[in-house]
Amino acid sequence: MRIEFERSGGFANIRVAGAVDTESLPPQEAQALSDLVNKLDFFALPSVIPSVTGGADRFQYTLTVEDEGRRHTVELPESAATGDFANLIGSLTALARRGS
Amino acid sequence: MTHHNPLECIIPPYVVEKVAQNGTPAQKEWARRTILQSAQIRGQRQAVADMTQRGQRMAAPARDCTVFDCGTGTDLPGTRVRGEGDPACNDPNLPDIDEAFDGATLTYDFYKDIYGRNSIDGQGLPLVSSVNFGINYENAFWDGTQMAYGRGHEALPPAERLFNRFTIDLSVIGHELTHGVVQYEAGLVYFQQAGALNESFADVFGSLVRQYKLNQTAAEADWIIGKGLFSSNINGVGIRSMKEPGTAYNDPLIGKDPQPGHMNDYVNTSQDQGGVHINSGIPNHAFYVVSRELGGKAWEKAGKIWYVALCDKLTRVSQFTDAARLTHEAAGELYGKGSLEQKAVETGWKEVGLPVSASEGDKVDLSGCTRLVGGLAVLLLGLVGKRALTRKK
Repeated sequence: MRIEFERSGGFANIRVAGAVDTESLPPQEAQALSDLVNKLDFFALPSVIPSVTGGADRFQYTLTVEDEGRRHTVELPESAATGDFANLIGSLTALARRGS
Repeated sequence: MTHHNPLECIIPPYVVEKVAQNGTPAQKEWARRTILQSAQIRGQRQAVADMTQRGQRMAAPARDCTVFDCGTGTDLPGTRVRGEGDPACNDPNLPDIDEAFDGATLTYDFYKDIYGRNSIDGQGLPLVSSVNFGINYENAFWDGTQMAYGRGHEALPPAERLFNRFTIDLSVIGHELTHGVVQYEAGLVYFQQAGALNESFADVFGSLVRQYKLNQTAAEADWIIGKGLFSSNINGVGIRSMKEPGTAYNDPLIGKDPQPGHMNDYVNTSQDQGGVHINSGIPNHAFYVVSRELGGKAWEKAGKIWYVALCDKLTRVSQFTDAARLTHEAAGELYGKGSLEQKAVETGWKEVGLPVSASEGDKVDLSGCTRLVGGLAVLLLGLVGKRALTRKK
């Protein structure tokens, strides 16, 4: 499974982006990521998840997952990134930072 | 009377905004009208709500700032740590509590003393700020009801830090609070040019709050937004420069400040809500030039013109050319047509590639006259026609 991740916006608007192939990760970390993707039912999500609140200076995320010939991209605002989404984005941000 | 179109009620705003971005010219026009119409409905609701609240409140409430601590969680507002009348924390390990409190009170006082505004909504709304939001959270935001600030990377080992705490600079606090003011006034949609204007107003008044605190003239001010937010590992003075957009930072780790200061360099992007933090450099620089031209304290005249335009003239869907035209109009009303102040506004927008015609104001008057003459003609024709009909009887 390959996951692409991008963050934009926020007060400082410093872009954070990265891609991870779960095969290149330690097995436990790889399993944790694919578990999160499956729990979110990622391939069934709409391509744009709307903001549930107003406000300003929040982050905007774009996630793309490729797995077994399927590819799907989801764009979502920080306000919608709760629960498993928050965990997935947290892991990917940490990985993107490690890679930079 | 409001024409009620049920179709427009069931289409979520983000879909309309996507169409406004990606549609054909006809679809874009539909989206523009839809957004404008819902803005008008929202305005009517707001006006009614304002009147109701005014009736209920006998005396204007006084300043009411409170700071909460999220304890690195993301549930707002968190635990109350300081309110009006409480002593300062004076804890060197938790400077953000006092910074958030002092920043909110200074911004409230700035709006009250300079523009006669009582809080974010103009009616004494309590100001809620939360600090210590999230883990290593490198951001500050306005969530539609309150301000929130991360501690950046201050908990990481010094060599790994990119960001300091987001309360470190008063301009950030003034910026976040102003997003609230924008929400209650023009209500600029947080997308593309309207969103970049929303951002720019937040930067303008964020910078002015710090200039007011330091009693600086336009020439003395640094016009940096988010000064000192970067750690010493990053080559940058701050996040944005209103004086020289695109020069605030340049670093191998995070790249270069992408802000344009002229329409020739306008950035089309889907990131960052259509570049709201990028293209804000253009109206930011226009405001800087107006302030430079006028000299003295920028909040007195340039700030007043921008404030009046924000409250009385701009709408949810205003674009850069609208902001240019409407600040020019506001300057004419406040200081006179052809005044030095109005000429400074012309210079400001001209320098960023958005010239406002000097005859713009006159053109509006002319069209008003044409409408008046046309209306009278219709009225006369109507009367003549009616007499003719009466005679025929």
